[in-house]
Amino acid sequence: MATIVRERPGTGSGDSFERDDHGQPSFTFTIDGQTVEAHEGQTILSAAIAHGILDIPNLCNDEKLDPTSACRMCLVEIAGEGRPLPSCNTPAAPGLQVTTKTKKLTHIRRTNLEMILSDHNAYCQPPCQIGCPTHIDIPGYLELIAAGQNREAARLVKEVLPFPYMLGLVCPAPCQEKCRRALVDEEIAICRMHGFAAEQCIDDPPTPWPQEAPTGKKVAVIGAGPAGLTAAYYLALKGHSVKVIDMMPQPGGMTRYGIPEYRFQKDMLDKELDGVWNLGVEYQGYAKLGKDYTLDDLFAAGYDAVFLGIGAWTSNPITFVDNTEASPEDTPGLINAISYLMDKTQGMPVPVDPGTEVVVLGGGFTTFDCTRTSVRLGAKVYTAYRRGRAEMTATPEEVEDGEAEGATLKLFSAPTKLISEGDKLTGIELVKMKLGEPDSSGRRRPIVDPGTEYTIPCNTVIPAFGQKPDVSYFPTHVQGVKTSKWSTVVTDPWNFMTDRPGVFSGGDCQMGAKTVIECVAQGKLAARAIDGYLKGEDMAAISQRLEAEERKPDLISIVPYKPVEPKVKMPMLPYEDRKRNFKLIEMGYTPEQAQRESARCLQCACPAAGQCDLQMYSIEYGLTDNRFHDGEPNDFHDYEVDISHSFILRDPNKCINCTQCVRVCHDVIGPNCYGMFGKGFDTIVSTPFNVSLHETDCVSCGACVQVCPTGSLMMAERELVKYDFALDRCIFCGDCVEVCPHGALGETPNFELSFYNRVGNGVTLHMDDLARAPDYLVDQRVPRRKGDVPGGTNPLIRPLPARRIRE
Amino acid sequence: MPDGTSRALIPTATTLADYQKQRGFQAYQRASGQGAQGAASILEAVRQAKLRGRGGAGMPTATKWQVVRDAVATRGGPPYLVCNAYDADLKSLVAATLLANQPFLVLEGIMLAAQAIGAREAYLYMHSTNRTGYAAVTAALNEARNGRLLGDLTITVVGVDLGFMGGEETTMLEAIKGRRPMAQQRPPYPAQVGLGELPTAIANLETLVQVVNIVRDPAAFAKNGTPASPGTKYVSVYDVAGNGTLLEVPFGTTVAAILKNAGITVGTDTTRGVVVGGPEGGVLPLTQLTTAFDYEPLAQSGTIVGSGTIEVLGPQTCMVDWARERTKYLTEQSCGKCIPCRTGTKRIAGTLAGIMSDVGVSSDLDLLNEFADYVPDGSLCGFGWHATHPLRTALRYYPDDFKLHLQGKCPTGACVPVRSHRFVTKGVL
Repeated sequence: MATIVRERPGTGSGDSFERDDHGQPSFTFTIDGQTVEAHEGQTILSAAIAHGILDIPNLCNDEKLDPTSACRMCLVEIAGEGRPLPSCNTPAAPGLQVTTKTKKLTHIRRTNLEMILSDHNAYCQPPCQIGCPTHIDIPGYLELIAAGQNREAARLVKEVLPFPYMLGLVCPAPCQEKCRRALVDEEIAICRMHGFAAEQCIDDPPTPWPQEAPTGKKVAVIGAGPAGLTAAYYLALKGHSVKVIDMMPQPGGMTRYGIPEYRFQKDMLDKELDGVWNLGVEYQGYAKLGKDYTLDDLFAAGYDAVFLGIGAWTSNPITFVDNTEASPEDTPGLINAISYLMDKTQGMPVPVDPGTEVVVLGGGFTTFDCTRTSVRLGAKVYTAYRRGRAEMTATPEEVEDGEAEGATLKLFSAPTKLISEGDKLTGIELVKMKLGEPDSSGRRRPIVDPGTEYTIPCNTVIPAFGQKPDVSYFPTHVQGVKTSKWSTVVTDPWNFMTDRPGVFSGGDCQMGAKTVIECVAQGKLAARAIDGYLKGEDMAAISQRLEAEERKPDLISIVPYKPVEPKVKMPMLPYEDRKRNFKLIEMGYTPEQAQRESARCLQCACPAAGQCDLQMYSIEYGLTDNRFHDGEPNDFHDYEVDISHSFILRDPNKCINCTQCVRVCHDVIGPNCYGMFGKGFDTIVSTPFNVSLHETDCVSCGACVQVCPTGSLMMAERELVKYDFALDRCIFCGDCVEVCPHGALGETPNFELSFYNRVGNGVTLHMDDLARAPDYLVDQRVPRRKGDVPGGTNPLIRPLPARRIRE
Repeated sequence: MPDGTSRALIPTATTLADYQKQRGFQAYQRASGQGAQGAASILEAVRQAKLRGRGGAGMPTATKWQVVRDAVATRGGPPYLVCNAYDADLKSLVAATLLANQPFLVLEGIMLAAQAIGAREAYLYMHSTNRTGYAAVTAALNEARNGRLLGDLTITVVGVDLGFMGGEETTMLEAIKGRRPMAQQRPPYPAQVGLGELPTAIANLETLVQVVNIVRDPAAFAKNGTPASPGTKYVSVYDVAGNGTLLEVPFGTTVAAILKNAGITVGTDTTRGVVVGGPEGGVLPLTQLTTAFDYEPLAQSGTIVGSGTIEVLGPQTCMVDWARERTKYLTEQSCGKCIPCRTGTKRIAGTLAGIMSDVGVSSDLDLLNEFADYVPDGSLCGFGWHATHPLRTALRYYPDDFKLHLQGKCPTGACVPVRSHRFVTKGVL
């Protein structure tokens, strides 16, 4: 190894430098105690990255640019220096002792991020989409509805949810609880909106994608409820041959037999389910697993996989405060809630009529379905619940409606005994409850308040304490499938396969009675797992993949500064018109109302989510809120978005003034389209005279987009177009291919002078190449992290599909 | 002007003849006649005199020049010299007065410094709005050029109007380079890598004037000041009504004595506090006026020498409002480059405005204390390092003002609310 003699800075001792592998004179220093080698002129950050130390955060540094030290994220402590110094700018020197992680540095970095976010007038991922169990692209379909494109909106929803009309009526809308519009005024009627979109095209429903060619695989879906039908829908789209088998005459499961007509009309259910049958899915009714056939029978009949979606149809018995139970079969006047709703929806006689006095017990959805059905039948109805109003699992609207329609609420009341005269029920004795001391989970359980017993005279009692699946026949008829002590089917949590290979399960029978949307979500995931199973994939890998894809809260609430615009309320059937009939109570939006309501969406979605360094670091530093909400308008900036350029979208609201675009455009590319403008807090990167990017000398190279650490500069989604060029003058030199700084011409198969087309053998331009071009562009988006850590593999960040910046 | 601790400014000399009558250019001619030895002797004299930079930071001038000379040995030269004659603090009268009254003295200082470091090009960086000073200094420059006094030294006058940020040294260099005036990260220091990537010495014009004094008469210079900071300093003193006086005081004079010399009487009924150091200076209560006007004692009291401006605040001053006003000014003056300074000062001002408008809560004080350290720790340049002195001293010396405002009452009754609601932390998700 050659050595050169040179004075070492600071020591003056005339030591000789070693030369490193590149022939550069090198020396060593330490980062967090680790000895690293650096060459003269190298910065601390660059030496760290070269040695695999990748956890020094930075937002404004790029290898090809001069450092600017603006973001203050890469600050490190250097022994002997009074204050932290930015590692991107400080040259490494022999013997430096660098510390990259201290409490003080973490505080500065975290506060820097907070400061950036406090003026980052934008959002990462829409919380509604995370809140929804099926993760519908909510801002996407709301934008489409606002633009009047209802069919496309329905198609977008159907990518993850096959029954948007049904869910629009029956879903408890967990998405709306998360709606960020509530920070401005009121949440958006997100759920009702996809119902509206689907209703507009219910006779000609779109499919999310074209159905794939038949695979020749057969899948049996047992149970035609939301989970089963969802699984059937997506399996059929994948080209599998699917047969749905149900014990009831008609498909729909609980949504047909458990949900009363006034919430959801069954003729509309039939119309929506046509979307499933149109894909070639077969239906067989009147066939009950465990009675008419066994699981082995299905495999014997040649099915490759089975999905168990048998639901939870067994009502829990009435439980008195002394823990005794009574069941409807041997107690007069006691009605099974599920049978009651089922009989009513089928038009069969029910033991409730205008003379009846009914007590419904419980606080869930079924409780209020029974309550409101009984009210409509003319009965005098009491609804008793052992906890308070806030603890009810039914939605507040449903409770309010129940009361307004005529039911009487008895809160903090638990049944002690039934009072009978002979074989006739004459009343029920209830006792008042009070909240006890908090238990180990911190929840205050209701306890009996002795001596407060009271009686409600009645002739019918409907206990609606929830349901559980009937798995009594599993050991003999559903061979090899385990059940839990809660009578649910045991599966892998992510790929939904039971212990028996090829048998999957989801929905109420896997979770215990839950909401329709949760069942749909499981059906969808199970369909993907079954598809993978049928294609011979490793089940553990599928499980991992599905878990990774499951969206988790990602960030971030920033500045909702928007004018107030009141919610468009769903027109409801007046209470007096609801008496003694089962008319649909939600009357539906008019197209104008739907457009107006959809347009209220704040579009809390950023196309850079998942690729954004700011988001990545904010998650890393545990920021889920910032300390500077709710300021005055002059505390934040609200810039105009520049979408005039054909390829580059500019949203200064997301700019963090890192000036990477300024430097790359000036120093590397040359046109000098960007600069900093303004002073103090109002400093912002912009174009000269703030003209649109289109008016600058921009060469559309996209280098600024590539270096932008946030979503401030984004490539526009674009269709490739053919350009005219003078064939008679082109000499096919290929110079254009060579000079393009991004290999845009050289690496695509679509350009006839490209490397492939000039050099490759038999590579010709096909129509398909052009069709694949947009995907190709998306793949080309290079992860912006330095070193070899692609942003996509950060387990904390889940990318959204590429979307356009919204105006 | 009363004497004793301060002396009147040296007489005006706007023509070469006048200046030469006041021993003008003798020091320079003596030094320049000796060549390299002369350069070394100037540096040595400055080192012996322990001259500290008058720009506010108080770095020993000789050390800086030595760094420049060393850097020239390794990086090449010739180095540049920049004379900072820019009154960043609009209330500072130093540069304006010296340029208008003693342009030749400033030029001689530049010439001595250029010789000491071996510079052949120097820039005189000043306020473009200072018309009198500009006229005087360009006339003097012409006369000096015509009199062949400058030798091979080129002096270029650069006039800018860049607000408070324009006084930051790296910003100054960017402006001279013709770039957007924003601060640059140090190290590397301008003394090593400055204009044209070459070593560049930056000195305040007052420092250079003191260099002339030192070379002329080291003993007279050493007579004044403290052992750590010998010599005198020009200070601009303002009374409550806003009338300013320029004084020359020896380092170590107490703030109270300076006020007395300026003819300002302070008392609890007329004075709420005294601001020392200009826009980034802290406020001292009457009990702290015994603080000596010197770098270290002022730092201990929570403020800085800064621009050498001393202002008296009237009895109606609410310190919450005063700190808000100062921070808001700094928010507007920041170059906007680094996050802590650009947004940190804005949030401090916003939080102070919340307290001042009686919508603050006690946890706002925790936030202010946190940010009083965060902004200096994280910031890129001296602007941010010193930006929280007003906040810190207000919190330190006037905690009751904050307490009263948090209870919904202004201590002086002078505050007019500017915010209708405070920042709120909301956990979403």
